[in-house]
Amino acid sequence: MLDRYGVIALFAFVAILFPAIPLAMAWVVRPKKPNRSKRTTYECGLEFEDFPQAAQNVWVQFRVQYYIYALIFVVFDVEVVFLYPWAVAYNALGLFALVEMVIFLGILVAALAYAWRNDLLKWV
Amino acid sequence: MELAIFYLFASIAIVAALGMVVLRNAVHSALSLAVVFVALAALYVLLNAPFIAAAQVMIYAGAILILFVFVIMLLSPRVDQGAGALKWQRPLAALCGLVFAVELAIVAASALLPTERGPFTPERLAEIGDVQAVGALLFTDFLLPFEITSLLLLVAMVGVIVLAKKR
Amino acid sequence: MPDAQTLWLISPELVLAIFGLAILLFAIIWRERVYGALAWVALVGLALALAAAVNLWGAHARLFAGMYAVDMFALFFKIVAPIAGILVVLISMDYLRERTRYRGEFFVLLTFAILAMMMMASSANLLMIFLSIEFLSYMSYLLTGFLREDRKSNEAAIKYLLYGAITSAVMLYGLSLLYGISGSLNLGDVALTFSKSADTSVQTLALVATALVLAGLGFKISLVPFHQWAPDAYEGAPTPVTAFLSVGPKAVGFAVLLRFTLTTLPGLPEFANYWTPLLVIISIATMTLGNLVALRQTNVKRLLAYSSIAQAGYMLIGLVAVNLGGSSPFSGLNGVLIYLFAYLFTNLGAFVCVIAIENATGIVEIPEYAGLVKRAPLVAALFIVFFLSLAGIPPTAGFVGKFFVFGAALREGFLVLAAIGVLNSVISVFYYFGVVRAAFFLEPKDTSPIRVAPLVTLSLVVTAAMVLLIAVYPEPLFNLAAWSMAMLK
Repeated sequence: MLDRYGVIALFAFVAILFPAIPLAMAWVVRPKKPNRSKRTTYECGLEFEDFPQAAQNVWVQFRVQYYIYALIFVVFDVEVVFLYPWAVAYNALGLFALVEMVIFLGILVAALAYAWRNDLLKWV
Repeated sequence: MELAIFYLFASIAIVAALGMVVLRNAVHSALSLAVVFVALAALYVLLNAPFIAAAQVMIYAGAILILFVFVIMLLSPRVDQGAGALKWQRPLAALCGLVFAVELAIVAASALLPTERGPFTPERLAEIGDVQAVGALLFTDFLLPFEITSLLLLVAMVGVIVLAKKR
Repeated sequence: MPDAQTLWLISPELVLAIFGLAILLFAIIWRERVYGALAWVALVGLALALAAAVNLWGAHARLFAGMYAVDMFALFFKIVAPIAGILVVLISMDYLRERTRYRGEFFVLLTFAILAMMMMASSANLLMIFLSIEFLSYMSYLLTGFLREDRKSNEAAIKYLLYGAITSAVMLYGLSLLYGISGSLNLGDVALTFSKSADTSVQTLALVATALVLAGLGFKISLVPFHQWAPDAYEGAPTPVTAFLSVGPKAVGFAVLLRFTLTTLPGLPEFANYWTPLLVIISIATMTLGNLVALRQTNVKRLLAYSSIAQAGYMLIGLVAVNLGGSSPFSGLNGVLIYLFAYLFTNLGAFVCVIAIENATGIVEIPEYAGLVKRAPLVAALFIVFFLSLAGIPPTAGFVGKFFVFGAALREGFLVLAAIGVLNSVISVFYYFGVVRAAFFLEPKDTSPIRVAPLVTLSLVVTAAMVLLIAVYPEPLFNLAAWSMAMLK
């Protein structure tokens, strides 16, 4: 087991190290002369603190459409998870598995059609 | 070695789960939950179930978590100021939690059961392939639950649209 | 690959799935223009499913690698489910017209809810049990919150959902432990593991696991202490949905509970020593709490909610006193089934009465029922019939149910339990009579007659006729219950 996943662990370790090393090096080597505009988040000239108080609250309420999009995403994400073993085992399963998958997808297409018909794929 | 990895990910999962409950900011809780999901995926890998691990990362750490974050943002997140009116429930909740913990301890104490094993042992899985096995079972023995899942997803979507669609 | 025989055996489910999808497709294609007709499509689908289930009567098979049982026990509930569905469709047509823009979707969800009920009745596998319970729960949450403009409906749905999510998580944990013990999802194999293993740790673990499962099922049946959601959900939900919730999920919740306990528990001989006292306590708590709290209610939907909690307590007596060994007519199991069948028509009928009044006037508070007999004599008279039946007074269906349930308790020596059951029935007469008193003996403020919609009248007459018919001519029901009992083994 370890021999198979050791590579993945190593890979993950390197992937973390890879961005960490340059950042750490920059932190060690760079000169530190902060001023106000350097400390701002985007250094773009528009300072966050200059905004009116009301606009500074970035925790705004999202629209419900985001939620519906996320849900549609969940539905089709689950579908993909089912498609994967189907594709892998396809040769061993034969025609009937194809029929099953067509039924499965057909039902989910009905879900998509319903969302479409209710104008949910349009950003209003 | 395997045991060490298990303890590493198990403790990450427990700490993150605690963080999810304790953190006052709902968005931080959600991020903490993401850590739990990924740590659990690692545990599934240890249990020789890489397909479940992949599904866990894809569905839970990916899709479900995004859904959570959107729900939190939909409810215009405020930092939770403490229990308020529900204060008297805390000792009660602690008691119920304790009872449940004792129950779990009983289960854990009898963990080395001479239990039955299913047909899919790690050796057998290594031979035929994990995803192969899932696919072969899902589309033969488990075809009814599989098709029901699609109906469930369909009605979930219809229901959400009925309840949440903007007019 | 399923052959034609398999498809034939699941024909009721297939019919409902196809009709549910068809209604949705009609709603997608033609939208509001066909909303009025969709209720009738749903009725046709439910009637066909009922016919298919009746047609299968006598079948005995295990499908899909043993996970799906088509036996007479399941078919009994597959007959109950579409009947409940048909009555709910009849009473919801007028109710929904003014209250929601999504009438078509309502019938989609309702059709799938009946489908989920059928699947629960047939589930003989831990995965199928969980999946079908969740399916029915989602439908119930959605239907409860269906009136999205109505804050009470929203509140009801949220409370129901939160409670349901937690109990199903607990139940899933129990199911996973059972799978861990036995290495198989099929109930039969779980039972086999139990009986093979003499190990005490298996016994302990099984006790914990089944107790966790009981939490999930107790939620569906609304047994104390898992009942708290019921009054709020019942009060806030659209009234036809309340009627559905009070009979549908409860009936199939009992189906799963019965199949689960009667297949897995005989493998654990010591087990009865733990389960019987637990069920006795739950039964007493459920009856007593439901009835005592119902005494204080002024909203008729809340009153019926607490009353239906109490009814679940009576039915549980039948499970406590179950004894499939002897040839006695009181096996406990048939008591539960007869009780459920009687309760189906009785409680639906009581809710039809509530809807008849609510549709025309919006009244749900009991004091406002004053003088109902002068405004809607038929409804007021039938209220008496249904309440007599709920209280278990002859000559009504409820009496037949209580007779068999209490009879089984007496036969098995649960004298105290039976006595508490009878005492509770007496208490229940007080609050049922409170409604009747308001309707018959108080003077109305407004004497204008209440017009009852024809479809509602039809369902009133049908339910009342069934309530009386079961009492006068119960023999077919006895046979039905006896057969389904024999086939469970």
